[in-house]
Amino acid sequence: MASSEIYRYLDVLGKPVALDPEGFLIHLDDWSPAVAEALAAEESRTLTDEHWEVIEVLRDFYDRFEASPAMRPLVKAVGQALGPEKGKSLHLMRLFPDSPAKVGARLAGLPKPANCL
Amino acid sequence: MILHTLNRSPTESRVYRQALAAMGPDDRLLLIEDGVQGALPSLVRHFGELEGRLFALREDLEARGLAGRCAAEVLVVDADGFVALTEEADKTVSWF
Amino acid sequence: MQHDSVETAGELLIILRHAPHGSSWLREGLDAALVAAAFGRQVTLLFCGEGVTALVAEQTAGPLGQKGTQPTLEMLAMYDIDTLLVDQQALDERGLTAADLLLPVRPLAPPQLAAALAAHPLVLNF
Repeated sequence: MASSEIYRYLDVLGKPVALDPEGFLIHLDDWSPAVAEALAAEESRTLTDEHWEVIEVLRDFYDRFEASPAMRPLVKAVGQALGPEKGKSLHLMRLFPDSPAKVGARLAGLPKPANCL
Repeated sequence: MILHTLNRSPTESRVYRQALAAMGPDDRLLLIEDGVQGALPSLVRHFGELEGRLFALREDLEARGLAGRCAAEVLVVDADGFVALTEEADKTVSWF
Repeated sequence: MQHDSVETAGELLIILRHAPHGSSWLREGLDAALVAAAFGRQVTLLFCGEGVTALVAEQTAGPLGQKGTQPTLEMLAMYDIDTLLVDQQALDERGLTAADLLLPVRPLAPPQLAAALAAHPLVLNF
């Protein structure tokens, strides 16, 4: 579940978007590609096509299972959707350094993964 | 050998049947907390043929006034006995 | 195909004995399974007693807004939780067969239940 504690607002094209202390959306419906861009820009991340295809995999995962994936199932889901070359933790670590499952979920507008390091 | 613990009375919960179904031929069953009701002569039949493998915890029997009312086939152990049973087992599985 | 022995199963056996919606036991058991699997443990699930009703097809979210179990069950494969054992007696008591369930399962008679418990180094009961 998303945290319900509003910690701050992110300005996205003039509209305030509520975030929790860790930068996850308070209202998952607020998500749009522009929100992802704004969240990424805050951390000086640039979203390439390779990022976007993983974000799409994450959103699809949440649609199907109503949960954000931990790292292992994320790797598996990416492999199934984008092929074995991309279904590797190295690829995801390169795209989303630190914690791909957590950072990816945040940019994709999903709740924080429950079982994440 | 697995030590199974059961803390519900057979008259109040059917979980004892799940415990029995999951028990192997050498496994042991220890009745604790409300589970010690099952050590009464009128209820012990629920546990079928566990001769030598059915235990009840003395402290829980005493607390319920049942220490002197246990069926003869039930082996009564105290807390140290519980520890010993745990040490003899490969693992413990609790049923509640 | 369904005859490989329970001895080959996994490191952790999680026993699920509660129905969906009525309590949080089922969800807590599934959460424990997912956490263990996320950390690379090989997990086996055993649905016992009322727990078999967690697998019934066509279930939904609860009327009081309780989250449904089906999406979580469908997610298990993504966590490589593929060994789903069910208590055959519990199915029989409820007039259910494996065909009534959401996912492919391996029904076990009591002697096999005991073997499944013995075969896993760690057993958690929910």
